Amino acid sequence: MNPQEIKHLYWRAGFGITPKALSSLEGITRSEVVTELFEKSQKVEPLKMDLSAFEVLKQTRARKMMEDKKYRELAQKGRQMVKHLNYAWLERMAVSESILREKMTLFWANVFVCKDNAIYHILPYHNLLREHALGNFGDFVKAIAKAPAMSKYLNNRQNRKAKPNENFARELMELFTLGVGNYTEQDIKESARAFTGWSFNRNGNFLLRAGQHDDGEKTFMGETGNWDGDDIIDIILKQKQCARYICTKVYTYFINPEIDTERVEALTDFFYQDYNIERLMRHVFEADWFYEIKNIGSKIKSPIELMVGINKVVPVTFQKKKQLLFLQRMMGQVLLDPPNVAGWKGNRSWIDSNTLMFRMNLPSALLANAVIEFSEKGEFEASFEEYYKAEKTKRRFLKTEVDWKFFEDNYVISFKDDKGTLSRNAKDVLKKRLQNHILQARLDKDTERLLGNLEATTTQALCIQLMSLPEYQMC
Amino acid sequence: MKRRQFIQKSALASSVFLVPDFVRAFEAIPKEVSAFKKLVVIQLSGGNDGLNTIIPYENDLYYKSRPNLAIAKSEVLKAGNDLGFNKHLRGLKNLYDKGYLTVINNVGYPNPDRSHFRSTDIWHTASDANEYLNTGWLGRYVEEYGKNPYNGIEVDDSLSVIMKGEKLNGIATKNPALLNRNMASPYFSKVLDEQTDVHLSEHNLGYLYKTMIEAKSSAKYLHETTKTYASRTTYPNNPFGKQLQSTAQFINSGVDTKVYYVSMGGFDTHVNQENRQRRLHETYSEALETFVTDLEKNDTFKDTLILTFSEFGRRVQQNAAKGTDHGTANNVFVVGKNLKKPGFFNEAPDLLNLDSNGDLIYSVDFREVYATILDKWLAVDDEVVLNKSFSKLNFLS
Repeated sequence: MNPQEIKHLYWRAGFGITPKALSSLEGITRSEVVTELFEKSQKVEPLKMDLSAFEVLKQTRARKMMEDKKYRELAQKGRQMVKHLNYAWLERMAVSESILREKMTLFWANVFVCKDNAIYHILPYHNLLREHALGNFGDFVKAIAKAPAMSKYLNNRQNRKAKPNENFARELMELFTLGVGNYTEQDIKESARAFTGWSFNRNGNFLLRAGQHDDGEKTFMGETGNWDGDDIIDIILKQKQCARYICTKVYTYFINPEIDTERVEALTDFFYQDYNIERLMRHVFEADWFYEIKNIGSKIKSPIELMVGINKVVPVTFQKKKQLLFLQRMMGQVLLDPPNVAGWKGNRSWIDSNTLMFRMNLPSALLANAVIEFSEKGEFEASFEEYYKAEKTKRRFLKTEVDWKFFEDNYVISFKDDKGTLSRNAKDVLKKRLQNHILQARLDKDTERLLGNLEATTTQALCIQLMSLPEYQMC
Repeated sequence: MKRRQFIQKSALASSVFLVPDFVRAFEAIPKEVSAFKKLVVIQLSGGNDGLNTIIPYENDLYYKSRPNLAIAKSEVLKAGNDLGFNKHLRGLKNLYDKGYLTVINNVGYPNPDRSHFRSTDIWHTASDANEYLNTGWLGRYVEEYGKNPYNGIEVDDSLSVIMKGEKLNGIATKNPALLNRNMASPYFSKVLDEQTDVHLSEHNLGYLYKTMIEAKSSAKYLHETTKTYASRTTYPNNPFGKQLQSTAQFINSGVDTKVYYVSMGGFDTHVNQENRQRRLHETYSEALETFVTDLEKNDTFKDTLILTFSEFGRRVQQNAAKGTDHGTANNVFVVGKNLKKPGFFNEAPDLLNLDSNGDLIYSVDFREVYATILDKWLAVDDEVVLNKSFSKLNFLS
């Protein structure tokens, strides 16, 4: 496998690769490289947090006796921990060896979109995504449908026989499996009945409230029977449109934002056989067409891909973790805080005048202590003073510790001579190699000329300059 | 010319006109100051309690539902037969007295959502409650009828969905000098200086270069147009006052911006509402009145319409913490010089017939308000912007 292909694979299946790691894969066959990628992602390692403070909520008596104040404090602690989950997830993506599983987890979080302020529900939900990320799609959907966080988010626990709530049933079809226009309003009504009584208990386990479940006959997509929620999902899976809907998402996320209908159709045929996600992804990564020039560097990085990607070049540790949230907000993608159940649209919708400039300034702000002069919006729940608080810190430096040694060890060292210095010749080679490695988008002659004229006094400055180009926004 | 036609027509031409110095060509700046119509949209973010804003002081149900929170009849700045202003809204009442204000009651939408995020999303995108759009109504207006990001300004540091279009977005700034300083850094200038038009392809990278050029030229345009203007009006010294002062600076210096969006935070008054809302009302109303005065001095008020909304109103019944919880329908304020129906546009809220949550039932769809403004004020095809047809209301001529 050649370096360009390896980089492409690692940008799509992960968040980039260092030259050092790349050199160990050069010359090995594609099949071997892909196999190793999957092997490293076999193990499921959930993110863990200490939830013991919330045990009391599981005990009916203790919960009832709890003072309002104490309860509010606990809720507040839960919200705080959701922020910590955000940081932990970011870090996980930057350091994990299971790069594919982590990338898939990020992908699925924008398919099965969910949000919950209760850490004891959103943490298991988040780990559910990781667990099923490469599994069977049907099992995945059924697990999602039973998760407390989803049940709350789309009001399925308020879905009762006497008064069905159609919210979950609608989004299940519109956003999770089929896409708009591939079902009728009648299908929504009938399937909502099948999900009545689906709830969860204090321990966060699925609970069917039999008294609220509609046992009657339902006709869904032409099939009549006493269906429950799992039956509905099985009938959905029988629709080829379901495989097509997911394959379209896979195509635009992992391959190219511009859809190639024939390729998607071929993928659909493949996925429809068994809904095996791992098999589908292996098929994609082993295909010749995946490595076609038109696919390489064709995608605009999401803010998270941008941040994690920079971290793979030069690791950055934040002294104030809250600044990680600030960066996500300014670029329009806060993990665990999607805009709505449709999730982020991705690609060009990440970009407007403000976000683009912010993104291009990000490497200097992270690595060279450049100042950021913009502040984020306040929260809805904030008081007037809190809402505008961020304004007071007009000039903002990111408080980071930058691991330039990592960059040196993984990107630069192979160009140095025995004395640890760079010869003039080596400098030119290094510059060329760095630009080829760091930039995924194809460079045209204008950019080549610009790069030729760039005066960078140090390798670090060169690194930052390269990451500040529009080309670096692509992967 | 609509933007799409503009692109089609210029697509062929671009390779001829823009070589080799296409960057400068993009920065060609229209200088004339025209008296076009401007719209300023203000969001009272967090959900303003409309019932303690415009008070139904003759309604017993109001006093029964709010034993600690209701505003006594004697305290109300009376206006209509049965409605009056919270006394901390003196500035707004002054605008009412001058005939500059129309209050539209009971504005909402079917199947209301009580989440700040989702309901703001719905108001910004003008979607149905079960529809998810990623463009906003002002963004779509800019995209269809403008051609530069600065045709729509959010007076803030980051852009909300309300100002986003599919291919063209508005721009966020509350300080054009600062924006320009950041957009025109020496390094970025160098990057753009090396480029010929080859980057302006339809591909993603071309889109980034195009956005970068538009951003840079928008920042430069806004900075250069506004820097010579000095406001002679003193605004209340708080962040919201500053936002409106910036907005007036844009308008009065003749910037070619047609729509503005300003968000004022702090209205989520679950606890001890009275004190918090008093300060919020004073802040909003003083700044708004100053803003109108400033525009009047510069003879731009006649071309400016100001719409104020909240993502929802609050529950009729007060809660146990002397506050109110998330509700549904609410009043919106339309401020302008030539209103067709100044005063109260429609009936007072019906406190007897509430929904199953104890919330107001809307009678005016907020998109009817938008449609009316698009059609009658901005004089464009509202269906193109809203993707649907809504009936027009009779508050503008």
